[in-house]
Amino acid sequence: MRVAVFIAYLALCAALVGIMESGAADVFLEATRPDFQKIPIGVLGFQGKTAVDSSAGQVADVLKADLRRSQIFSVADLPKLGIKVNDVDGGEKALFKQATENGISVLVWGKLGVKDADVVLDGFVYDGGEDEVVAGKRYVGPSSVVRLMVHRLADEIVFRYTGEPGIARTKIAYVSEQAGARELYVMDYDGHGPRQVTADGFLNLMPRWSPDRRFLVFTVYRSRLTQDIDLIELATGKRMTLVSLGGLNITPAFSPDGNDLVFATSQDGNSELYKLDTRTKVLQRLTNNSAGDLSPSWSPTGREMAFTSDRGGGPQIYLMGADGSNVRRLTFEGDYNAAPAWSPRGTWIAHVCRTQKREYKLCLISPDGQQNRQITTGPGVDDSPSWSPDGRHLVFSSTLEGKSHIYMINWDGTELERLTSGGIHHSSPSWSPL
Amino acid sequence: MYTRCVTACLMGVVGLMLFIGPACSKKEIQATSGSKSSEQAMAKGGGQAASARPEPGISEQDLLKSRADNPSGEIKVAKVQPSDATGRLAEDMRREQAATAAAGLKDVYFAYDSWNITEQARQALSADAEWIKANPTILLKIEGHCDERGTQAYNLVLGEKRAKAVRNYLAELGVGSSRLAVVSYGKERPFCQEHDESCYQQNRRGHIVVRPK
Repeated sequence: MRVAVFIAYLALCAALVGIMESGAADVFLEATRPDFQKIPIGVLGFQGKTAVDSSAGQVADVLKADLRRSQIFSVADLPKLGIKVNDVDGGEKALFKQATENGISVLVWGKLGVKDADVVLDGFVYDGGEDEVVAGKRYVGPSSVVRLMVHRLADEIVFRYTGEPGIARTKIAYVSEQAGARELYVMDYDGHGPRQVTADGFLNLMPRWSPDRRFLVFTVYRSRLTQDIDLIELATGKRMTLVSLGGLNITPAFSPDGNDLVFATSQDGNSELYKLDTRTKVLQRLTNNSAGDLSPSWSPTGREMAFTSDRGGGPQIYLMGADGSNVRRLTFEGDYNAAPAWSPRGTWIAHVCRTQKREYKLCLISPDGQQNRQITTGPGVDDSPSWSPDGRHLVFSSTLEGKSHIYMINWDGTELERLTSGGIHHSSPSWSPL
Repeated sequence: MYTRCVTACLMGVVGLMLFIGPACSKKEIQATSGSKSSEQAMAKGGGQAASARPEPGISEQDLLKSRADNPSGEIKVAKVQPSDATGRLAEDMRREQAATAAAGLKDVYFAYDSWNITEQARQALSADAEWIKANPTILLKIEGHCDERGTQAYNLVLGEKRAKAVRNYLAELGVGSSRLAVVSYGKERPFCQEHDESCYQQNRRGHIVVRPK
């Protein structure tokens, strides 16, 4: 068994080296490559003490969903294989033997207990060494953070098998309609636990995270006439107005180092991109033409940005240096490409593309323009793509079911999952950094 | 890149060693006490919503604070406090709607993707211009609106182009531009919600609003 695991590690290393040699821009597990073998994993369940019994099954479901979304694991249906999921209690060796016979190489289970007023979650990972548990973690906290503890366990497991941090504790900022107004919200990456961030009573748009995750930056209609770009500190609710120029002040985006804010303003008559150094307050104009320039998205290195411009007629994606130099058009397919989002790996720029059927769907294009693919299909207007920090998922808004909701999708267009439920309108998702 | 690969491989090997290691001593493996306490801190920190009331604003010092102030690394969201602006904005909107309804000005409509003033729109604006010139003390606002197709961001730009096209045409008819403010709502405040062309047409609009005194 140990040999098998060692071979699995070698295969993992070989896969990494293989990706390296194929000339990809960065190292990561291409979980969606056809030759990538997901690691078969089984979740045995969480034995619960009386007080937390009801949440035990839920905990296992949260963990299974996290592991599935990681795209690293295929989560086995153990009851279907005849493996009892609720009774580990020292019997992991026998259960593991049964599991390996069904092609499963990793088993996870846990115990839920109570200590004083807190919930104690013990998580165990077993991948076949003699009769040893290979990793165990204990998490303690109030019952309100049980989901967070499970997400943390999932992230530990993802890290253990990939060397990369998991995304189960990231969050998504978005806009939701509330009492006739559009306000900012933040929810867990799986759509749970929405928290209202603003209660301004009118119109707040397009939140983006600061790289340190402390702030959201967004457009606020301060009155019935003027728009500003505001900063809000999530932990305190403190606000600050960063930009208050004439006309539109929209689509703010922090540079990866958090020092610069690029945004679009129409103070000059039409929408132009400006860069504000948040330390010195120096404002630098980046674009200068008679068309609309907007929606900047920084490359992960901070050296370049993608943006939307209609200088050639309809909106198209352009690239330029962080100082506004070396502008060149990236998209040529179709007559409408907008809302670019540069992936954290640097390899793709997601955007909204208008198809030949005049539908607004998500497309990916490589920064050299050589590769282009449409990743969503069907009815509805897709908008505001935003990458997960591991570069494996996109979150976006769509009216595919009528009302505008927030959806998550794998970067290759598989596993569409709706994150919001109920309500009137949800839009403008932005995925937090790690 | 190569370094990262080596690191990843090393992690794999370390993982393997972790896996071999316990084979020598009988199990009961948990996190070490050090990491255990930090896990505990994590879970507790994550659960506490900051309850402080929002301060007036973010200071320079706030901006310079490092992430070390939040050692758990979890994102916390303060309980939201209704803004003072809420009531004022609702009152503004109510007065605006009342003044606009009383004036009876005509809105204008646009073609898909377009901000050109159509012949029909010219007729509507000619009538509007007469009323505006006859009421020289009244200030107006032109709202640019779009249908739900296309991106939110680009529709804000498109809505502004529509509002400015209306302002420029009214200026040609002799209305002073200083009386005409413009604002774009893109597709954020639609007049109807259906996903069909008759609704889309309603929403591709230049809406002329009387600003209450």
